[in-house]
Amino acid sequence: MVSLVLILISSLFFVGIIVKVKAKIAARRMPPILQPVYDAIRLFKKGAVYSRTTSVVFKIAPLIYFASALVATLFVPIGSFGAFLSFEGDFVFFAYLMGLGKFMMIVSAMDTGSGFEGMGANRESLYSMLVEPAFFILMGSVALFTNNISFHDLFLNFNVDTNLSYIIGIASIYVLVFITMVENSRMPVDDPKTHLELTMVHEVMVLDNSGFDLALIHVASWLKFSIFGALISNFIIQSSWAVHWQIAAFFGIQVAFSFAVGVLEAFRARNKMEKNPQWILMLSAISVVIFLTVLIITQKIILN
Amino acid sequence: MNIVLFKIAILLTFVLFLLPRKHQYYFGLALHLAIIAITSIWIFNVLALSSTLTLPFIPFLGNTLSIIIDPLSAFFMLVINFTVLTGIIYAKGYLQPYYNKKSKAEMGWHFFNFLWLHISMLLVVIVRDGIAFLMIWEVMSLSSFFLVIFETEKKETIKIGINYLIQMHVGIVFLMVAFIVAFVQTNAEFSFDGLSVYFASHNPFWLFILFFVGFGIKAGFIPLHSWLPHAHPAAPSHVSGVMSGVMIKMGIYGILRVLLYIPHDLFNIGLFILIVSLATGLIGISLAIVQKDSKKILAYSSIENIGIIGTGIGLGVIGIAQNLPALAVLGFGGGILHILNHALFKSLLFYSVGSVYKQTHTRNIEQLGGLIKKMPKTALFFLLGVLAISGLPPFNGFISEFLIYSGIFKSLHAASLYTDIVLMCSFVGLAIIGGLAVFCFTKMFSVMFLGTARSSKVEHAAEVGTPMLIPDFLIGFLIIIIGFIPVIFMRLSASVVVLFSADLSAFQQIIPTLNHISLSSGIFIIIVGLVWLLRAWQQKQHIVKQNATWGCGYSGANPALHQYTAASYADNFVQLSSKIVNVKKSFKDFDEAEIFPQNREFITRSSDVFEDNLITRPGNKLLAWLEKIAIFQTGKIQHYLLYALVFLALIFLLTFFNLI
Amino acid sequence: MTYLFIMLYAVTLIYFALSERVKKFVWLLVIQGIILFAIVFFSLNEIELFDFIFILAETILVKSIIVPWFINKVRKRNNLKRTQEVSVPVFYSIIVVVISLVVSFLISNHLESSHIHTRYFTVSFASVLFGIYFIIIHKNIFSHVVGYLIIENGIFLLSLAVGSTMPMMVNLAILLDVLMGVLVLGVFINRIGDTFESTRIDQLSRLKD
Repeated sequence: MVSLVLILISSLFFVGIIVKVKAKIAARRMPPILQPVYDAIRLFKKGAVYSRTTSVVFKIAPLIYFASALVATLFVPIGSFGAFLSFEGDFVFFAYLMGLGKFMMIVSAMDTGSGFEGMGANRESLYSMLVEPAFFILMGSVALFTNNISFHDLFLNFNVDTNLSYIIGIASIYVLVFITMVENSRMPVDDPKTHLELTMVHEVMVLDNSGFDLALIHVASWLKFSIFGALISNFIIQSSWAVHWQIAAFFGIQVAFSFAVGVLEAFRARNKMEKNPQWILMLSAISVVIFLTVLIITQKIILN
Repeated sequence: MNIVLFKIAILLTFVLFLLPRKHQYYFGLALHLAIIAITSIWIFNVLALSSTLTLPFIPFLGNTLSIIIDPLSAFFMLVINFTVLTGIIYAKGYLQPYYNKKSKAEMGWHFFNFLWLHISMLLVVIVRDGIAFLMIWEVMSLSSFFLVIFETEKKETIKIGINYLIQMHVGIVFLMVAFIVAFVQTNAEFSFDGLSVYFASHNPFWLFILFFVGFGIKAGFIPLHSWLPHAHPAAPSHVSGVMSGVMIKMGIYGILRVLLYIPHDLFNIGLFILIVSLATGLIGISLAIVQKDSKKILAYSSIENIGIIGTGIGLGVIGIAQNLPALAVLGFGGGILHILNHALFKSLLFYSVGSVYKQTHTRNIEQLGGLIKKMPKTALFFLLGVLAISGLPPFNGFISEFLIYSGIFKSLHAASLYTDIVLMCSFVGLAIIGGLAVFCFTKMFSVMFLGTARSSKVEHAAEVGTPMLIPDFLIGFLIIIIGFIPVIFMRLSASVVVLFSADLSAFQQIIPTLNHISLSSGIFIIIVGLVWLLRAWQQKQHIVKQNATWGCGYSGANPALHQYTAASYADNFVQLSSKIVNVKKSFKDFDEAEIFPQNREFITRSSDVFEDNLITRPGNKLLAWLEKIAIFQTGKIQHYLLYALVFLALIFLLTFFNLI
Repeated sequence: MTYLFIMLYAVTLIYFALSERVKKFVWLLVIQGIILFAIVFFSLNEIELFDFIFILAETILVKSIIVPWFINKVRKRNNLKRTQEVSVPVFYSIIVVVISLVVSFLISNHLESSHIHTRYFTVSFASVLFGIYFIIIHKNIFSHVVGYLIIENGIFLLSLAVGSTMPMMVNLAILLDVLMGVLVLGVFINRIGDTFESTRIDQLSRLKD
């Protein structure tokens, strides 16, 4: 329960920090840190415009997208704070639930009958297909390493002080950061600030959403950021630390992560669209290296 | 008692031809129901007590042919009965337009074959004697052949039917050879039970491969799959639903049955099944993505699902071989549950596509679009099926995939190095298959049902009648139940799995997990409901308008033309997998001087690499060669007599030199 | 600690497969040189001054300063295109590099010889395999030089793997060989670039007469 609350809190300022950092680097005036929240509240107070082409699918998709992100939050522990829900193999459920949300968003974008949104939907489905193996290999490696298959036990038993495991920690964080970027359609894969519909992925999919629905989609994407930030923090936070240190470390890591995302977005150009698949595949390749490392650590590959 | 009724029901099938046309359907339905009722008693007895039931059936070749029902048979009978039931209910509406075109005998023949497909599939899973099994296998192929060529007036259909028949016979030759090899080498009885003698004393791998090829042609493992994408589109939808839902699973049944008799050397066999299955899954779904014919997409996706089932079974076999009980139990459990799940959602999808075909007379998804407004119920059932087949929670496809995943992840730590690599490859494969399935079915659903109509064929479409929706309700109900309360169905799966692996402790451990999944799914649905209510309340207070889709500032677009098409949706995937999917594009480039472009055509077509290289090309070569031989066929009687003379002389010479 | 750098080395191979820009190749070579230094540094039991200087010279000086600097100069002089053409899509190259990594790790697991340090053998074999593959798929002679350098790095690791039986002198000889090879090739490329204004190998086959 504590972890749920912590993730929800951190989701409020996550995107705000990114925007702030980007503004600072671009020498613009910085918006307040809660600006995204104000925007969302304003959207929640608005009416909506629905396209005549759309059907019930379009209406239900934002709800499912939001609910999938929210339920996914329930599975994520932080340090020694247990997750709200935890069972063996919950990360499979987690990944597939996110998949359900994406499925509905893709279908709803196609529901508008717009060529641009079709393009975005199509790209999103390809990229999310390609990023899935990376997440599974990563979780599989950690599962093999700790001999546990639920988020909670997995991170509880993940001790970086043991022999060599820091390699797994570093590499996992590296991969997870980029998985986050792909899942949230951020910089190297997609540029949220682009103004050309042809080059958008996620933004173009929500062109026709408005009011309450759009706000839900925004909130869901904060949640997603925060969830992955929490997963990353789990690689660093040790359950043996004192409780207040764990909370402090969690927020510290979330801030650092959002800061890093802001810096990355400010300095990095978006990949060419056609280079995206191979770039995403690279994440899986690095995950395989992690898997091999785990095989060495668990003495399955015996080297001298 | 029951067995007598069963025999009477079988005999009564012949009465169909005597009945007037309007009674044929109801008589057929009654017979189906009778058979289902009789067999359900057996199924219930077997599954409830998890015992084996042996009943004498008919005298056969001097002995009594008994039917033996063990949990494996009972499970398959359950799947067969349910799918055939939904199929025959659906057939009433689907066949309506054909009543005027077809004669009484033709309709009778169709229902007769449908009945016999049902009966033969039931018998396939309960007969153990080799000869009887092969004969019934043949009956199954024949009856499905006649069902496939229902629309005999189309030349293409006949050609596809013949292709199907030939491939089935190639399969049966492999099975026959396999049985004969086992029989000759051991002199045990000519039956499945006789195989145990062979497997106990010989290396099982090669004989298993023979069986695998024979059964694999039925199941559609790549590269033995090439009949599937042709036969399914050609057949009427209720037949494709049943064929794809259960008939191809008979191949899986055969493989499982043979595996039951193999006591040792299982690792290589498991690895073989796993590799073939993963390749089948990946290639099957990749090919499904590039298709435009809605039924072909579903056919290729059946191949993919056979791959998932095979992956589960292969992992289960490896689990037994490597003494990893969790992998064995959950692998088999997931694979077997997926048989049921696939039967459910695939028949649902075929029925929905059939309804769309009935209303629009086209299977080309590029001509559809916007159907959700015309056929809302069909569309929603299709969405349900699509979500389930993509393996997404909270529906049934997810449960079986989850079982396989948790089997893999649980065994990672205990497994040896090579098994670990194999396990990694299999979960990566499963994840990619899952992602590609999402890709494929978002495309299929959205191009068919969403957006705006792409051709005039959609204009006159209307929702199908209730009889055609009844099976959808039945199947949809089960899909949701399995998704939300999987524990009930775990027992079903467990009673089969216990035949393969006695240590069911992994099943006990997975039950709380599944309860948690039910809980999480429940929470998910509640959240969706709450947000829905919240939004309804919020939107009451504000203005909600309808307007055109945002066209990025350009309002002159033609909504039908400027949508994303199926071909464009598939394009970025095609670029990645060009070697497998083999898509050819033909179009004319723009000239530099062409300021006002003319109308243009853009054509894409794809062909199946395996079919091209394994069947079409060798077939054409053979034909070319045979045509050269045909010079001997001169049509003159003198020449033929001359051949006879030469032949006689040859025989004489060969005998003279003691060569024969 | 050695393992960290061995794994990092494996990651650089993946990045070699991923990148298409010539400039990136040069940077990756620099990074590989530094990683090699780190690997050797952390696997030395006791640091002797002579050894240390020698290794420093070999890895940092030669591998990550002189050679990259030189080929970068060659790159600039010949106005090479920013991206290099490959005959196999990068998407598949990544799969190939992963397979070669897994295979070489499995092979190292099989080597049960006591005088081979299999931990170095893992990436060194992968590096050699990948270097060959890299040369095969690239169409430009400049990338071929990069490929040879990847192979050389692999051989350097191999010399660590068979440490006790392979004296430093052999390693030194290989290093000089490669250094000379790079120099010669560099001059060669320069001349070709001057004469033909192209460094694509399919056009170089006309040189055979």
